[in-house]
Amino acid sequence: MSAANVENDASAGDVLLEAENLKIHYPIHGGVFLKRIGEVKAVDGVSFTINAGETLGLVGESGCGKTTVGKGIMRLIEATDGHIWFTRRTGERVDLVPLGRKAMRPIRSEIQMIYQDPYSSLNPRWSVGDIVAEPLTVHFPDMKRKERDEKVAWLLEKVGLTGEQAHRYPHEFSGGQRQRVGIARALSTNPRLVISDEPVSALDVSIQAQVVNLMQELQEEFGLTYLFIAHDLSIVEHISHRIAVMYLGNMVEIGPARDLYDNPVHPYTRALLSAVPLPDPSLKRPDRIVLQGEPPSPLAKPSGCPFRTRCPLAEAACAEEIPVLTEVAPGHHVACPVVLR
Amino acid sequence: MSDVSETGAAQAGGTDRKKLLEVKNLRTYFDVEGKTAKAVDGVSFHVFANEVFGIVGESGSGKSVTSLSIMRLIPDPPGRIEGGEIWFNGTNLLDMSYAEMRKIRGNEISMIFQEPMTALNPVFTIGFQLKEAIRHHRKGLTKAEVTDRAEEMLTLVGIPDARRRLKNYPHEFSGGMRQRAMIAMALALEPRLLIADEPTTALDVTIQAQILELMLSVREKTGDASILLITHDLAVVAETCDRVAVMYGGKVQEISDVKRLFAEPLHPYTQGLLTSLPRPDKERRKRLQTIPGIVPSIMNMPPGCKFAERCPLRESRCDTIEPELVEVRPDRFARCHLVEPEGVADAQEAQA
Ligand SMILES: Nc1ncnc2c1ncn2[C@@H]1O[C@H](COP(=O)(O)OP(=O)(O)OP(=O)(O)O)[C@@H](O)[C@H]1O
Ligand SMILES: Nc1ncnc2c1ncn2[C@@H]1O[C@H](COP(=O)(O)OP(=O)(O)OP(=O)(O)O)[C@@H](O)[C@H]1O
Ligand SMILES: [Mg+2]
Ligand SMILES: [Mg+2]
Repeated sequence: MSAANVENDASAGDVLLEAENLKIHYPIHGGVFLKRIGEVKAVDGVSFTINAGETLGLVGESGCGKTTVGKGIMRLIEATDGHIWFTRRTGERVDLVPLGRKAMRPIRSEIQMIYQDPYSSLNPRWSVGDIVAEPLTVHFPDMKRKERDEKVAWLLEKVGLTGEQAHRYPHEFSGGQRQRVGIARALSTNPRLVISDEPVSALDVSIQAQVVNLMQELQEEFGLTYLFIAHDLSIVEHISHRIAVMYLGNMVEIGPARDLYDNPVHPYTRALLSAVPLPDPSLKRPDRIVLQGEPPSPLAKPSGCPFRTRCPLAEAACAEEIPVLTEVAPGHHVACPVVLR
Repeated sequence: MSDVSETGAAQAGGTDRKKLLEVKNLRTYFDVEGKTAKAVDGVSFHVFANEVFGIVGESGSGKSVTSLSIMRLIPDPPGRIEGGEIWFNGTNLLDMSYAEMRKIRGNEISMIFQEPMTALNPVFTIGFQLKEAIRHHRKGLTKAEVTDRAEEMLTLVGIPDARRRLKNYPHEFSGGMRQRAMIAMALALEPRLLIADEPTTALDVTIQAQILELMLSVREKTGDASILLITHDLAVVAETCDRVAVMYGGKVQEISDVKRLFAEPLHPYTQGLLTSLPRPDKERRKRLQTIPGIVPSIMNMPPGCKFAERCPLRESRCDTIEPELVEVRPDRFARCHLVEPEGVADAQEAQA
């Protein structure tokens, strides 16, 4: 079955990754002796699943912890608590959190990341061919040189570049082409899960669509699974099967893309979607919800619901407990006891 | 050169709205590694009084250089304004002395920069800088009144606990808060023309909506002020602007009112931009349309149409002859050999 048909039955697919009560806190050091004086609760008890072959969009305000979730799955940062269950190619289900470096290495080839900034994420002194080949040399050190070169040329062609361009250097490429190099590199080890952190934000208006289409084609061809992190809500809506919304380290809503965009339930999701400008002057937004103030510092998170300080529906009880995700429609979960009452 | 208001009436197709700003054939070049980079190469447009005028376009197409030229803030060297005219309220800014220009910048035109740290001085508190702007604009206020006004401005741009925040230095603000502090400073001057260069790109959509609404409401309060809004976000243009110029390769490729631009884009580049947008009414997960190819290097612009290489309608003349920006519909201008004029008396050139 091609991934294009997954939209309706994505929830029926096998679970590839499951985050369970994931917490990632950054220590803050200060004073003369750089003692630990506090912590940023960047990810504060987040649970979600990603099914094989689907795209899960992850959205939320700047600083809410999206990149930290991605890096936590990549094990570029240590989780403070919780589990990240990953189903390997062999069918084995492993918790990535307690794994040491060595045990993690073979799994790392199955999870790759496309970085936000195509300008700084490629080593300027390496040829594009070397950049794409690097994960292969790390994960498959026994691969023959000739085989590796062939694979690199094949990957470059897959992303719309030519094998001949393997000898050129990043500065000779445009932003969109560089992002393609980053995608070829991420695909080199035949990953099952690709985490893409704002893959098109830094690109020219006319190039964004090229890269988004390429990602979708590759998903269909190779059955890839994406965690797609982005600011641009219209692109997320376009590419995702399901969407998760974060606020200040917590997940406030998750559900099928169409359902979540058509019937947002959490007050934060509603405000977020109502603020998206529409590319059509004949449709003015009468419904815009303008939030007051700005997100509190993650160093001093409010007690209870993290959104209550800006929430139009906040009540005294919201200060008491962090709301849990509750199913409101098939596969659609919301963390707000007030709207659900 | 004929009188400004006269050409204005002719160009606006009979409407005699007052033009607050008119840029004519502006050329701003940079000397880079012994070569000339024509960042802005013959840009013409005008902004009416009491109008929000947008400039959109590819990265590097000359949007920021155009606005910095209006402010006369082009670093020289390596840059220089090679030619053209910038009429503001009846005078050519390019003829002004440095001192006269400073006065205009303080009182009549203010700018929100793409990078907030260029406008904020790191060694002074936010409060000091904001109060400077207020004192400069409204002489005769008491010290207490100036402080109150500064607090009010910070609160208006959505910074909580404003009185205490006045004592912070720029580095103690987050990126989004710095941007808002700069917006507060620009608005405190109550300018006739506010130039906003990507004022909301560093902000989240929810705060972005707040700021755009604030800019528009301040304009309503002051009466006939205009905004020149530079952005690459077409949805922001659709929501906030009255008319818009689309730039590519250092040139204006199309000028139109926003309604007709989105309903019927005329230039192939504008058409490409609009069709490559994901739209809420489009089928989800269908392929987006794309503009193939990449932007030509500014050091090596093709002699003909700057967009020809990527254009689906390209003909051989497009590679050799650069089209002029001409009126192709009443009050709509496009720079393309293949757009046939309709409903205009003579396909006259937009600007001399
Ligand atoms: N290395 C670090 N040390 C301390 N705090 C950090 C570190 N990295 C991130 N943070 C903090 O953790 C929080 C979450 O950051 P993160 O980068 O995950 O946000 P994000 O959702 O990706 O935001 P954006 O949309 O701006 O990229 C922020 O408050 C940030 O300041
Ligand atoms: N100080 C400078 N020295 C040399 N070249 C410059 C300088 N400033 C701008 N340029 C060049 O002028 C061209 C136009 O730049 P400009 O900043 O106006 O682009 P822009 O349309 O604002 O793009 P963006 O959307 O990325 O902000 C670019 O090619 C840029 O490299
Ligand atoms: Mg991030
Ligand atoms: Mg710019």
